[in-house]
Amino acid sequence: MEDFTNETIDTTQLPKFEEVEFSVLHPNYWKVILISLSVFFLLMGIGVGLVLYFNKELYPFNSKVSIVYVVLLLLVIFFSRISFKNKGFAFRNHDVLFRYGIIAINTLVIPYNRVQHVALHEGLVSRFFGLAKIQIFTAGGSSSDIEIPGIAKEQAENIKQLLMGKIQKQL
Amino acid sequence: MEADFNQPQRQSIIGIFVMFVYSLQGYTKALWPVLIIFLVRFNEYEKSNIVIGILCVLAFFIVLGIISYLRFLNFTFHIDHENEEFIITEGIFNKTKTTIQLYKIQQVNINQSLIQRLVGVYELAVDTAGSNKKEGNIRAISHELALDLKARLLENENKKTVNVEDTISTLEEISTEKTIDTEAPFIKISFLSLLKIGITSNYVKSFFVLLAFFITLFDHIKQITGKDVLHDDNIEDYVDKSQVVTAFFILFITFFLAVIVINLVKTIFTFFDYKIARQKGSLLLSYGLLNTKSTIIKPEKVQITSITQNYFQKKMNVLHLKIKQATGGEKEDNKLAIEIPGCDKLEKDAILKLLFQKIPEKGVMLKPNFRKLGFSVFLTIGLPLLVFYFVRDLLIEELPTIDYFVLLFVVFIGIIQLFIFKNNRLYINDDFIILQSGAWDVTNNIIIPSKIQAITTSQLFWHKNINIGSLTLHTAGGNISFQLGNFTAIKQYVNLWLYEIETSDSNWM
Repeated sequence: MEDFTNETIDTTQLPKFEEVEFSVLHPNYWKVILISLSVFFLLMGIGVGLVLYFNKELYPFNSKVSIVYVVLLLLVIFFSRISFKNKGFAFRNHDVLFRYGIIAINTLVIPYNRVQHVALHEGLVSRFFGLAKIQIFTAGGSSSDIEIPGIAKEQAENIKQLLMGKIQKQL
Repeated sequence: MEADFNQPQRQSIIGIFVMFVYSLQGYTKALWPVLIIFLVRFNEYEKSNIVIGILCVLAFFIVLGIISYLRFLNFTFHIDHENEEFIITEGIFNKTKTTIQLYKIQQVNINQSLIQRLVGVYELAVDTAGSNKKEGNIRAISHELALDLKARLLENENKKTVNVEDTISTLEEISTEKTIDTEAPFIKISFLSLLKIGITSNYVKSFFVLLAFFITLFDHIKQITGKDVLHDDNIEDYVDKSQVVTAFFILFITFFLAVIVINLVKTIFTFFDYKIARQKGSLLLSYGLLNTKSTIIKPEKVQITSITQNYFQKKMNVLHLKIKQATGGEKEDNKLAIEIPGCDKLEKDAILKLLFQKIPEKGVMLKPNFRKLGFSVFLTIGLPLLVFYFVRDLLIEELPTIDYFVLLFVVFIGIIQLFIFKNNRLYINDDFIILQSGAWDVTNNIIIPSKIQAITTSQLFWHKNINIGSLTLHTAGGNISFQLGNFTAIKQYVNLWLYEIETSDSNWM
C-alpha cells in the first residue's frame, strides 16, 4: 500500500514524454521526397500515356485520365508534406522518441536499454544531398523499430555513436 | 552412464528408418495428386505395365533407403566446449554445418511423433532466441541420451548465470536435475477437463474450417460430376417446402455437432495426458496422445500470458492459458505460444504464481470511449448495410426473405460489438498490465511492465479536444493495444513505465 501512495505522487513529477521538444527533419529531405515522387509519377505517367496512345478506343477518356492523374499527384504531394511536417525525433538521456503519422500523430518511445542494434542507411538520392537514415531495432518486432530519415550524414554518425555508447553502457 | 558429447556423434541406428519414413512422407505429400490418378486408373493398365510400375516403386524405395542411410551417416552432432557451441553437421553432397552458441539456446524440446513412438526413439529440437524456426533438430535419439544432452545444453546456461566453473559442482547439478526430473508433476489436466474445454472452445475457428472444407468438397464434386450440388434445382422438385425447412434445420444441427466433435477430438489428441512439473523454477510440460511433446517454460522468458474463458467454461470451472515467450519478432508468434488447456482456478493460480511469484491482480481500470463502439459499429454494420442498399434490388429477386437475414445479421453483429466494447478494459497496477478483450471468449492478456520493449501512443487530430487516444505496448512476444482511452491517464502511465524501465536494469529475457 505504501508503494501505491508513493507512486501516485511520483507520476505527476516524472519527466513527461509529451512535453519533449522534437527536432524536425532536415529541409533537404523534402527535396529527396519530391524527387522520388516525381520519378515514380514520371514512370507511371509514361506507362499510362503509352497505353492511351496505342489504344484508339480510349481516346475519349484522355482528359478524364489526366485529371485523375493530376489530382492523385496533388493528393500524394499534400499527404507527403503533412507526413514530412509531422515527423520528428528527440533523444533524451534514457530513451529515444520518434513522432510520425498523417491523420494520427504517433509517438514511439524506445528506452536505450531495450535497443538491440543501430544501423545507418544511405539512399541513392539521399546521399546526393548528404543525408542518411538511422534505424533503431528492438526485440519487439518490426512495429517497434524506429527509422529516422533525413538527418545530415555527420549528425547521423554522431547519433549512432551516441546510441552505441548508450547501449554499451547498459551492457 | 555419462555420454561423451565432445566427440561428433551419430543418431540412433534406427534413425535410418525414421529418416526413410520422413522422406517418404515428404515425397507422398508432394506427389499425391499423381498417385491418386495412378490408383484410380489402376484397372485400365495392361499387366506388363503394372509390373514395370511396381519395379519402379521398388527401385524408388531402395534409392530412398540408400539416401536415408547416407543421410544418417553424414548427420553428426556434438558440443564444442572450447567455444561453447552446439554443432550439427548434415547433408550428403551439400554439407550444412549448424553452429548454435550455447548461451543463445532458449529451449530444448524432446518430442515424439507416431513413427518415432513406434520405433522407440525421440526427437530433440533446439530453440534459440534469434530465429523462429527450430534450428537444431535431431530426429532419432534414445530417451536417456536425449535427457542427457538436454541437461548438457541447458547446464551451460546455469553456469552462465551462476558462474560456477568447477566441473564437480556442475556434475552435481546434473545429478540433482535428474532427481528433480523424476519428481511427480504437480498439475495433471484430467480427461474430464479436456472434455469440458473441447466442447466449449474454438467454435468460430472450427466453424470456418468446416465451412471451407465443405466449400472445397462441393467444388470438387462439381468439377468431377459437372453438377452444382448447392444450386441443383431438382432438389426443390421432390422435397416440398416444410421439408426444406426441417432439412435445413437438421443440416444446421449436424454441422454444429460436427464442429463440436471435431473440436473435442482435436483437443484430446493434442493435449491428452497433460502434465506440468516444476524443475528449478521452470515449468516442464508434456502432452499429446500420438505425438508426445515436451517443452520448458522459463518464467523470465515469458512475455505475454493470456487467460481465456467463456461463459460456459466459467460455469464449468475450466479455462485456457496461453504463454508467449520471446520470439524473433516475426508473424508466427501465435504458433510459438504454449497452450495449457483446461486448468481450473486453483491450477491457474499455481501456474501464475510460478511465473510471476504472485497472482496478478487487476488494478486501476481504463475504459475505452464510446466512440470506439461507434467506429466498430460503422465498420461492421454501417459499411455492409451501405453495400446492401446498392445491391438490394438485385438480390431481392433471388431471395425474397433477404431483409430478414439482414436484420438478423445487424442484431447479431450489434450484440457482438456491444459485448466487445463492454469487455474491452485495461487494468493497471504496480506490477501488472492486464488487457481484457473479446465478446464471447473473454481473454485477459497479462504483461509485466519490465517486459516492454517500446511504447507507441497515438492520437487522431480530431480527438485532441476530447482528450482520447491509443496505446500500444510492444514486447518480444507480440503487441498489446488499447484504443481510445483517456489520453491524460495513458500518458501518465507511459511516463511511469518509461521511468521504471529506464531506472532498473531488469532482465526482459
